[in-house]
Amino acid sequence: MTIIFSRKILSTLALQLIMLFCCTISAKTSCREIAYLHTDRTNYIAGESIYYKLYVLDADTRKCSEISKVGYVLLRAANSRSFLKIRVKIDSGMASGSILLPDTLTSGVYQLVAFTSAMRNFNEQGFYYQEIVIANRFDKELKFKFVNPNSTDSNLTKLHNILPAIKTDKTVYGLREKVIASLENTASKANVAVSVYEEPPVLSNAKTIAGTMKVAPVAPDNKQVLIYHSPENKGKILKGRVIDVVTKKYISEKVVLLSCNDTVPNLQYAVTNSDGRFQMLLSNYYDGKELFLTIKDVPANQQLKIETEDEFAQNQPWKPSLISSSVDFRDFIVKSQDLVYINKSYQLNNDTVDKPLLVSKPICPRFYHCVGTIILPSDFVSLDDFPEIVVEILPQVKITRDKGKPSIKVYNSLIKMFNENSPAIFLDGVFVDDVKKIIELGSEQIKKIEVLEVEREFGDLAFSGVISIITKSNEIMNTMPAPHSLRLRNDIINAGGKLVAINSNQIQNKNLPIFKQLLYWNPNLELNGNNITNIEFFTSDYAAKYIIKIEGVSDDGTPLSSSSSIQVNNQTNVTDK
Amino acid sequence: MCISLHAQTNVGLVVPAVDSTFSAKLTGEYFYENKQYIGQQYFNDTWAQSDILLSTGEMINNVSLKYNGFFDEVIWLNNSNYGKFKLDKSYIQEFWLKNEQSPTIHFKKINVSEPDNDHRPDIFVEIGVEDKISLYIQRKISVVETQTMYKNDAYRNFEVIEATPVYYIRLPSNRYLKINRVRRRTFLKLFPEKKKAIAKVIRVNDLDISVESDFVKLIELMNKEIF
Repeated sequence: MTIIFSRKILSTLALQLIMLFCCTISAKTSCREIAYLHTDRTNYIAGESIYYKLYVLDADTRKCSEISKVGYVLLRAANSRSFLKIRVKIDSGMASGSILLPDTLTSGVYQLVAFTSAMRNFNEQGFYYQEIVIANRFDKELKFKFVNPNSTDSNLTKLHNILPAIKTDKTVYGLREKVIASLENTASKANVAVSVYEEPPVLSNAKTIAGTMKVAPVAPDNKQVLIYHSPENKGKILKGRVIDVVTKKYISEKVVLLSCNDTVPNLQYAVTNSDGRFQMLLSNYYDGKELFLTIKDVPANQQLKIETEDEFAQNQPWKPSLISSSVDFRDFIVKSQDLVYINKSYQLNNDTVDKPLLVSKPICPRFYHCVGTIILPSDFVSLDDFPEIVVEILPQVKITRDKGKPSIKVYNSLIKMFNENSPAIFLDGVFVDDVKKIIELGSEQIKKIEVLEVEREFGDLAFSGVISIITKSNEIMNTMPAPHSLRLRNDIINAGGKLVAINSNQIQNKNLPIFKQLLYWNPNLELNGNNITNIEFFTSDYAAKYIIKIEGVSDDGTPLSSSSSIQVNNQTNVTDK
Repeated sequence: MCISLHAQTNVGLVVPAVDSTFSAKLTGEYFYENKQYIGQQYFNDTWAQSDILLSTGEMINNVSLKYNGFFDEVIWLNNSNYGKFKLDKSYIQEFWLKNEQSPTIHFKKINVSEPDNDHRPDIFVEIGVEDKISLYIQRKISVVETQTMYKNDAYRNFEVIEATPVYYIRLPSNRYLKINRVRRRTFLKLFPEKKKAIAKVIRVNDLDISVESDFVKLIELMNKEIF
């Protein structure tokens, strides 16, 4: 019966997939998005964090996009190699977080790239690109070359008097003095990110949000045959293909199973389409977990393997626009290195105030929602291996051998005989298709065995019973994946709005040196329409000229970009002249 | 198959979103139907296109369901393999049996265990009224008698099954009152303080509460006028 089921299932699923991938129905909405990444600064020392705010905007309405819920940010070096890959959770078109730069990064110009899966349907040139300078803390020679500011809209002086208007209570401040800046917004309600940082001697070529909005997504040229990338409106989509290793052909109608290590058997599956492609929605349940992928029912004469798509892959190589280094800029970097050295010595990281991140409770895609027969081997005398356990304490299971190859059958109490087909076997929550993975497990390793004797249905897949084994020391992590299986780690979402500022307790502690090039970073500041919003922050022990930079977007899609500057002098409590 | 019309433009190539492929999967076990009964064990004779709210909060639309009142189970006809499966009860929170001719019937899973009493299993009930005073109807099908019949060259015993609905009234205190047969006098005894008011509502509206539709109407009126 299961064989008949399988055939019917496969043919039906294949039909569904063909319809999904080939049918053309009139589009009701389009998904053209623009990404913009606002960073707290553009020059960093390795070991510091990049604080960012990502905006994903609808290219047509210019408002925050409600479609994509997952964004990708990556940092790549001049040789186009990606160093850091960050997945972010987008909420109402916005996401914020921080990227810790490893201490080991070499000095040079790096590129930040931001995009969504839906943006892959257009030319890669439509991704957001920004060049930043990162210097290694111990690199005193600083032989790298840096980027010339060639973008006209980046010129900060041109940003003055653009919405929202920034007014500070003074223009010159002393050390450790409170700064009150009022932001006057004449546009409708808006959400902006505010950064107050030391003005570098060379302006960055970072675009403003308004400048980014001017560039519409470009259709790829006809030579490029692109596959359709579904907008990730519910979560990350794992994409991959099933390929025949010998013939190099992509295999259709194959069921790909996904599960991960857990105390309950869990499963998700997808069927490959005519191009051998499959895709699975990875909910937050899979965040940070090891994913176990395998192909169901691989014929003995076929060598299949799973290839997954790199969601961060970039086809466009990047070469930084380089010019020779200037003395001013070198001095600025050396000063930054010294400040980071002081902060590291006193273990003074940027003071962040975490806002609680609202993450929905992960839902485990359980393979079954009922209780089977539970056996605890520890309740019996110790048994050496699984066949012995089956003989002694699992009468509803039998192990047979065909030409030395073991197979497991489960007794079906409803039809009063052993099922002809093998049951679904789970080891530590993971679907395993090879009995050998459990055959050597004895009472010493196994904590719990659960058996479901009746024929089970999971979506369109039928299984002749279930055997779930939970081991004492997660044996599944020690197993080698079969050639047609794949094990990969799913990344963790980089999220959480962070407010960076010097707090009043630190200011009062006179014994604590506070040297900050970043005085304030607020990625989520709500501005009401036709209203004044005040922000407050403290200056540090470091005298310099600071830029107050604001980027954001209003509810009606108006870009907000403005900047102002303040001077901090090397004296306490300067009175404004 | 459910294809979302939330399609996206792909520079000339238009492909629908694949939401339906990402929806939660129903889980259950193969349902071996025992036909040694005289009578109908299902609440709905024909497969109804139904929606299911899972205990995880996910929704699955347009699946073929029958409610089996004899076993208090939801039976799913998997249209891809035409197998009948008993859905895992703990996975189902609510379901809606949709019918073209008649109104949609809304079932939900409740637990009528009394505090400090033996734990009773969850049951599926049809929602009659849901308000301060709620009325839930368990569409129970029970064996009422056994008949001996000559079939296949032998005399065999067949159990006669028929609908025996059980009514549960949920009070504002979240306590459940179970009523097997609705009678005016016994019903009024359940509400000694409101007895007169309820009797008046029955009299004024000329209700015969042993008839289910009138009983449902009474609970609605009680919510409006008394509680």
